[in-house]
Amino acid sequence: MPVISANGVRFHVQRLEPEPPAGPGSRPPLVVFVHGLVMDNLSSFYYTLAGPAIAAGARVLLYDLRGHGRSERTPSGYTARDGAADLAALLDAAGVTEPVYLVGNSFGGVVAARLAISAPERVAGLALIEASCAGATAAAWLESMINTLSAGALSLEYNRVAEVFGAAGQRKFARMALTADGLLNGTSLIEDLAAERPLDAAELAGIGCPVLAVYGERSELAGGAEDLRRHVRDCRVEIIGGLAHTVLRDATETTSGILLGWLPRPAAAVPVQRAGSAPTRRAGGAR
Amino acid sequence: MSDVFDEVAAIVRDVIGEDFLLEQELTRDTSFSQDLALESIEFVELSEKLQERFGQRANLATFIAGMDIDAIMDITVGELADYITAQLAPSA
Repeated sequence: MPVISANGVRFHVQRLEPEPPAGPGSRPPLVVFVHGLVMDNLSSFYYTLAGPAIAAGARVLLYDLRGHGRSERTPSGYTARDGAADLAALLDAAGVTEPVYLVGNSFGGVVAARLAISAPERVAGLALIEASCAGATAAAWLESMINTLSAGALSLEYNRVAEVFGAAGQRKFARMALTADGLLNGTSLIEDLAAERPLDAAELAGIGCPVLAVYGERSELAGGAEDLRRHVRDCRVEIIGGLAHTVLRDATETTSGILLGWLPRPAAAVPVQRAGSAPTRRAGGAR
Repeated sequence: MSDVFDEVAAIVRDVIGEDFLLEQELTRDTSFSQDLALESIEFVELSEKLQERFGQRANLATFIAGMDIDAIMDITVGELADYITAQLAPSA
């Protein structure tokens, strides 16, 4: 398992190269994916947008946030600012010096946006998928998230959920419960989230790179789109009809098309060549 | 049974751990989700080990690109071995 130590934490990192490989002289964009909270890890992007991105000619870096997936679980350090500091250190440790395209889902979008503000020279573009980063709706979402996670933490501890699943031979659920229990009851994550605030108007106005914001039409976070439109200089908003918070999972093809259409070429070109028997869905030009 | 299948099966055992597999026989029809209860992050580990063994072409991110999550979860060990075999073919 590829591990990079950065900011005092061991991070699980996966890098994927374009297919077919970039020709000499061409410089494909580097896309860095930042996943969401608690039950999430880099696999959610690995399963969805990473494949289309490399097929479209981009280089890809995926990593597990601290405490998530296969990265080290530290007792503290779970604010979005901590996450941005982790990401900057991770890019340094990985030898990445060029500005990168950040794609963040849910809370991962907040981490990505924080980096675009604290280290603008590192970020060429910011794609926010259902990000809880702006507006009153994000504040309400955070509050409801904290309540849900607090209730989950109590339940995991007192109902010994992991043991129950384990005893029932439910290996996958037992492992998921163990992960959630460790994160919610063994770290400062919930307290850190409680101290979190969405980006304010001045911070949003300070984002200099192009921003793509994708929301589900029925998402409780969709109201944030208006704040982004109003305050971010270069912002494109895409609303996906009929869906709520789960656009990455439930509208993968549409989201992929939007992202690839927004990324600079060669990522926008789609020279897909495959020999496998997997069903192919070409990322279309959805806008 | 092909050599590739045997090698893929050995790598799957390595990712999952023998203890869980004691009562399970790995066949072509064994599915990663239903039968093996593979966690999604373990599928990433599996991909990494396949690439270590078979090279960049054994790239599961490309294999699963365009499938929805349910289809990914239904993949069987045999289908994966077939994909690797196709990727290793000289014309691939």
